[in-house]
Amino acid sequence: MKKRFSIIILLIIISLQIYNSFAVQRFPKPEFESGHTQPPTITPDPRAHALAILDVFVLVAALSVVTWLVLKKRFRIGVFWMSVFAVLYFGFFREGCVCSIGSLQNVTLALFNSEYSIPITVVAFFVLPLVYTLFFGRTFCAGVCPLGALQDIFAFKPMPIKSWLEKVLGIIPFIYLGLAILYSATSTDFIICRYDPFIGFFRLDASFMMFIIGAILLLIGVFIARPYCRFLCPYGALLNLVSRFSKKHITITPAECIQCRLCEDSCPFGAIDKPVLLKDKEARPVAVRRFLIIGIIIPVLILAGGFAGSQFHENLAIVNPKVQLANELLHNTNYGETEKEAFEIEAFKSAGQSKEELYLEAAAIINQFYYGGWVLGGFIGLVFGLTLLSLSVFKYKEDYTPNKSNCLSCARCVDYCPIIPESNL
Amino acid sequence: MKNNRRFLKVNLKLWNAVAIIAAVFSFIICFLIIANYFQINRLDPVNTKIINTLVERLSQNPNDEALKEEIRELDLLARKAYFTNQWQIRTGGYLLLIAVIILVISVQLSNSAKKIEPVIGEKDDNNLFLQKTARKWVTIGGIGLVIITIFFAFITHAKLGETFTEAATAENTLIEESDNEETSSVLASSETMEESVTSESEKMIDEESIQETSEVVKTEKKTEPIKPTTADYPTTEMKANFPSFRGPGGNGIAYQKNIPVSWNGNTGENILWKTTIPLPGYNSPVVWGNKVFLSGATAVKKEVYCFDRNSGNLIWTAVVDNIPGSPATAPAVTNDTGHSAPTVTTDGKKVFAIFSTGDVVALDMNGKKNWAKNIGVPQNHYGYSSSLYIFEDKLIIQYDHRTASKVMALSVNSGDIVWSTERKGKISWASPVIVKTTNGIEILLVTDPFVASYDPNTGKENWRIDCLYGEVGPSVAYADGVVYATNEYASLVAIKIGDQPTKLWEKFDYLSDVPSPVATDKYLFLATSYGVVVCHDAKTGDLLWEKEFGGGFYSSPILVENKIYLIDKEGITHVFKADKEYISLGDPVLGESVVSTPAFMDGRVYIRTDKNLYCIGK
Repeated sequence: MKKRFSIIILLIIISLQIYNSFAVQRFPKPEFESGHTQPPTITPDPRAHALAILDVFVLVAALSVVTWLVLKKRFRIGVFWMSVFAVLYFGFFREGCVCSIGSLQNVTLALFNSEYSIPITVVAFFVLPLVYTLFFGRTFCAGVCPLGALQDIFAFKPMPIKSWLEKVLGIIPFIYLGLAILYSATSTDFIICRYDPFIGFFRLDASFMMFIIGAILLLIGVFIARPYCRFLCPYGALLNLVSRFSKKHITITPAECIQCRLCEDSCPFGAIDKPVLLKDKEARPVAVRRFLIIGIIIPVLILAGGFAGSQFHENLAIVNPKVQLANELLHNTNYGETEKEAFEIEAFKSAGQSKEELYLEAAAIINQFYYGGWVLGGFIGLVFGLTLLSLSVFKYKEDYTPNKSNCLSCARCVDYCPIIPESNL
Repeated sequence: MKNNRRFLKVNLKLWNAVAIIAAVFSFIICFLIIANYFQINRLDPVNTKIINTLVERLSQNPNDEALKEEIRELDLLARKAYFTNQWQIRTGGYLLLIAVIILVISVQLSNSAKKIEPVIGEKDDNNLFLQKTARKWVTIGGIGLVIITIFFAFITHAKLGETFTEAATAENTLIEESDNEETSSVLASSETMEESVTSESEKMIDEESIQETSEVVKTEKKTEPIKPTTADYPTTEMKANFPSFRGPGGNGIAYQKNIPVSWNGNTGENILWKTTIPLPGYNSPVVWGNKVFLSGATAVKKEVYCFDRNSGNLIWTAVVDNIPGSPATAPAVTNDTGHSAPTVTTDGKKVFAIFSTGDVVALDMNGKKNWAKNIGVPQNHYGYSSSLYIFEDKLIIQYDHRTASKVMALSVNSGDIVWSTERKGKISWASPVIVKTTNGIEILLVTDPFVASYDPNTGKENWRIDCLYGEVGPSVAYADGVVYATNEYASLVAIKIGDQPTKLWEKFDYLSDVPSPVATDKYLFLATSYGVVVCHDAKTGDLLWEKEFGGGFYSSPILVENKIYLIDKEGITHVFKADKEYISLGDPVLGESVVSTPAFMDGRVYIRTDKNLYCIGK
């Protein structure tokens, strides 16, 4: 088994080398009077279409295997090894790109920018995990997503955090999601990719800052399991929504819960809903009044958020390269460079566009961000409102069940249940 | 009660030990990588102090082969060290990866082998309490987010959209204006040409046939030569005054007499008056009639001053503000250039000043603003420093900055662009020199990589010769058909002008990075910022003498009555004969440091120090 595994790893490494040898020379080499010859410069080709299709097949296979391991076999160790596979294949081999998390930006850009042609494989990477989640819960997070898998491997000593804090921090991925959509829709930037904390590890070329951020997240992840997935991942926010409607979600117990409480603290992600009994129910008039007040306040929150977002639009827009360029040209600040002309300005000049055109374009982008700010702020206001509303609802529960939205289907909890499945008897 | 957890049978002790070793190893490697990273960031293999010092020494002695070899070896060592550091980081990265993988495997195996006893939470948190706390913090978080967002939006609000729209409109107007100017200039020149051609033709009609005339018209239209201006330059009036940096035309010559050669700032000997200058500036005084002009500026304030030549009293101060197009914040400049390095100029009717922001102002002799405009913020990492000059009714501006170098002439009456010629050079800190040569009156400009001549009437480039490089500070000198240009680390080059400008000679030993040279028909005098003054034979370039002074020079030498006046940075003026031997005529001390160039008029010397303006005379 080990031998076979080593051969597979070796083949992967060799294929990487072959892949590099197909790279192309793009620029003529400089010549030196001393006779020094430059080593050949190589630039990798884009990923071959066949390999991209293969990636989709591997994704489907991985999703299916993990789903089978979680729902049918209830086999945590199997899920763990799938995580290892995800880190190796989707992480190190594919260098973390395209990933489903980042693909939501491609889809947004394709929706808002008709000039952008989105590859079908990218659409597949976006849609497939959502479809699987809709039917089976977040099995993608369990052992297919390389970012989640990497953190999962490092979750050595997970500690529970307060459930109210979990709720508050759980809003951040929605804010990140809103920002990512705004920046993609305005063709500004793919911020998820730019600030992906682990991509530098997968590519073995992390910049110092990204290395530090990634390392800090992994270190935090030793004690607070999967911090990125729980408190940052924007795609996780989408899966969180979809998973609520999942048809066949993992259960802690294969049969009827016997209230033994062994699984109570088994989830490192705090995704087990404990029984809520009638004694925990507050007086109906108080609960109804609060529910109604929050229901009425939600539109106010949307408006307040929208207003704040619209006022903040300049700060949001300044990230846009065109706005930045126009700003630098207007104030003659040359991107802080003093020694030579900043390459952005040099590039602008050589492109032949007039300053007038650039300023008008920048003004139009600012305008887009003004309306985008309204939408983003309104969305965040809505998220806050709905979170408050969900925190005002009494849900009667007798058993220990996974919280469908937050549960990452990792199958840790199933090992804690003393009930043996009928099939194993 | 027993759970379903499956366990592996492993040597727990062993894997714990492996995990600890791997963790310690990872930590050490991580620490070393970070330390190495900071070290590599601090080192710049191509810019080390020792190599730079040696290179500087080599520039003074370019033929020292041993020194060259030493530099090469040190350079190779520095590069090797840099790449070794990079290799260490890369290798460290791989080692870290391996160590982390081992750590993960050992911890996972160790965890898998541990039997976890069922732990039942001691007490259920009350659901109502949890919901209440969560609601509280979600509310606080939401309100906090809105407040912070609005606060930041408020303090950073810059009306960007409106600013860009206005900038686009302004840009459009500018393009239209320049199109109109070009069109009118083309129309004007074609009208002039047609007029002259017509008058020519009229003459010819009297003498020759109509057919012959039309042939002449054709030829003239094809090859219209730039006719040399025959007017005298500098004019008698200019010569009687000291209207600009380095004298009339900026050639380093003062047409004055009876200038004293001795004074003492400490004892007051020959010091007629001394007046404090309100704002700082590295520009030099100019004198016209009874008035001495200077400018001063900080990042937030720009002023032009007029002093009484006889009493030193400040007659007026003109504040230069509210100029359309002027940037809200002044560009960044270095302390040794400042916001007011260019010297003002005057034609006796108006005074013109330019600042680091690109603001140009024309004032009448009573300090009243005639016109003012911003000609674009110069992109210059030290600060704009080229001084202004006047030719007839045109204000000549050398505007060599990072992006769109040009030389231009503005109408002294309206500030409108009379002509503007694009230049392909880099940033220059030198100033124009306007002289009358055998070809007529020429504007001589120097930058990296060339010395060029322009027609002051049309701005057309007469000639250009590539000969310099680097950050050019010294302006050129001209005498007897030869232009002299220099720059530190480049060369000192003499260019014989004529139909085909050619290099007459080139020297590399003593070069200047700030003071400009001055020339007579026979000699060329050059001061360096490190304190050496040299005299070359103007025609052959032979070094006639060299003299080392302690102070170093930023001020440029001025030729007055066959004497050279040269002030060092310590404020000691070295007066010597403009001759093939060094003959000192005096070394008067002012007692304050000086970097500006003195003005001379009517038997007096005007010197700007850091804070004061001195008038010296008998």
